[in-house]
Amino acid sequence: MTFAIETKDLSCRVGRAFQVSQLDMHVPQRSVYGFLGPNGAGKTTTIRLLLGLLKPNAGRITVLGRAMPDEYAAVLARTGYVPERPHVYPSLSIAEAMRLHSSFYPTWDQRWATDLMAQFQLDVTRRVGALSKGEAGKLLMLLALAQRPDLLVLDEPTDGLDPVVRRDILAAVLQFVTDHEATVLISSHLVHELERICDWIGLMDAGKLVAEMPMQDFKNGIKRLRVAAAPDNLGTAPFTLLSRERNGSVEQWLVRGWAPGMHEYLASVGASVREVVDLDLEEGFVELLRSARQRAR
Amino acid sequence: MFRAIAATQWKSTRTTALLAAVAAFSLPIAALQAARGVENAQMFINIVQGWSAGYALLAAGAGLLLALAAWGPDHQGRHVYALSLPISRSRYAMLRFGAGALFIGPIALALFFGALTVIATGAIPQGLHAYPFALTLRFLFAALVAYAIFFAIGAATTRTAAVILGAIGALLFAQFLLYTLDVDFNLLERVGELIFGNPGILSVFSGRWTLIDV
Repeated sequence: MTFAIETKDLSCRVGRAFQVSQLDMHVPQRSVYGFLGPNGAGKTTTIRLLLGLLKPNAGRITVLGRAMPDEYAAVLARTGYVPERPHVYPSLSIAEAMRLHSSFYPTWDQRWATDLMAQFQLDVTRRVGALSKGEAGKLLMLLALAQRPDLLVLDEPTDGLDPVVRRDILAAVLQFVTDHEATVLISSHLVHELERICDWIGLMDAGKLVAEMPMQDFKNGIKRLRVAAAPDNLGTAPFTLLSRERNGSVEQWLVRGWAPGMHEYLASVGASVREVVDLDLEEGFVELLRSARQRAR
Repeated sequence: MFRAIAATQWKSTRTTALLAAVAAFSLPIAALQAARGVENAQMFINIVQGWSAGYALLAAGAGLLLALAAWGPDHQGRHVYALSLPISRSRYAMLRFGAGALFIGPIALALFFGALTVIATGAIPQGLHAYPFALTLRFLFAALVAYAIFFAIGAATTRTAAVILGAIGALLFAQFLLYTLDVDFNLLERVGELIFGNPGILSVFSGRWTLIDV
């Protein structure tokens, strides 16, 4: 598998209190990678590191086959970026912002930009500083998409937007992914939003990547089990036990990689499964976070 | 690319540039108005010369304001937009610098036309000559020097700004120490000479800013 983004032992201290540490991240090429994590987990810092906006203290970053931050200009020429907060100069009109932006990207597709303008119902004469949050979000998405990037990096692109605008923006991303064989990295703490569009997820918490897996595995493989008579030592279990909590004689387990045939394995170690609960994505996300925090303690 | 940058910079600069151009055009005319009716050539020169600080101040002020306006939009967005553009940071800084420097041109031109207007009035006493071109060149150069210095300071990090302020503070403190220890050495004056005297970095400001001379 080739990766559009790959980091190895990436660490960066931001201020005194926070750091991204030993991040090993793998974003497969042509995937839509959902970058999940609670607020303050380090998603934005990581994205800034990936794009060369911040310099790492240690570790290696490769984006689109090039070393970052050394080759940032070449990487940014092929990357569309939608930051957390609008970054386009507020004194410009939308038309001026488009003119400025397009002058930096030889791949700029004016026809598509015009189509997106109509689709997003943006008025070119409006001043960027006077746009609503939703309109600003649409403009940033337009600017990122019309440059026809090989990699699209979206940092909480729909945070705080109403459902209609959110749907418009995600539809544009989906259309882009369908039309081009590009890679998308989209960060969010809105789990359900990513469920529809992502095929990979990475979960970040307290500056660490605590899980990274295909969305399918995340959706299907994480279960909550109620297990009775479980031994302390499970030996080589065919699944990953993320957490276990004792509740009287019955334990509650969170497991990854669960398959129905694994009942037999548990029976072989003297345990019996009372209940298998399918977790929806949000529950899975919460449980993964909780187990990661328990392991960290 | 440069045109696009210049166009965006024009939006944040135009008011400053326009006001500075009006001031530059008016300065020579105001100097002439002050000396109008004076027959004595030396006195005429002295009066006109009295306005020379105005040219230096205008050049410094225009340089400062244009430099602030050049970085203004980027500071507002915490430089995220500029940093995410696919060009080297040094090239981006050069584009911004060039775009800002461009707007010094119209201000200098306004000064030149102001000086030409003074000449056209024919109110200069016999035996004296006007030097509109030399004055404009000096103004242009001084404004560029001021712009470059403030542009560099404006681009610097908070730490660099603190270092600059710290250096100024250290200088003042050293002068205070010399004074309290009764040492007969004026450090500030010496540093001033180094900076403003020839060939100091700001010597262009301290030379003769004269439109009318013998």
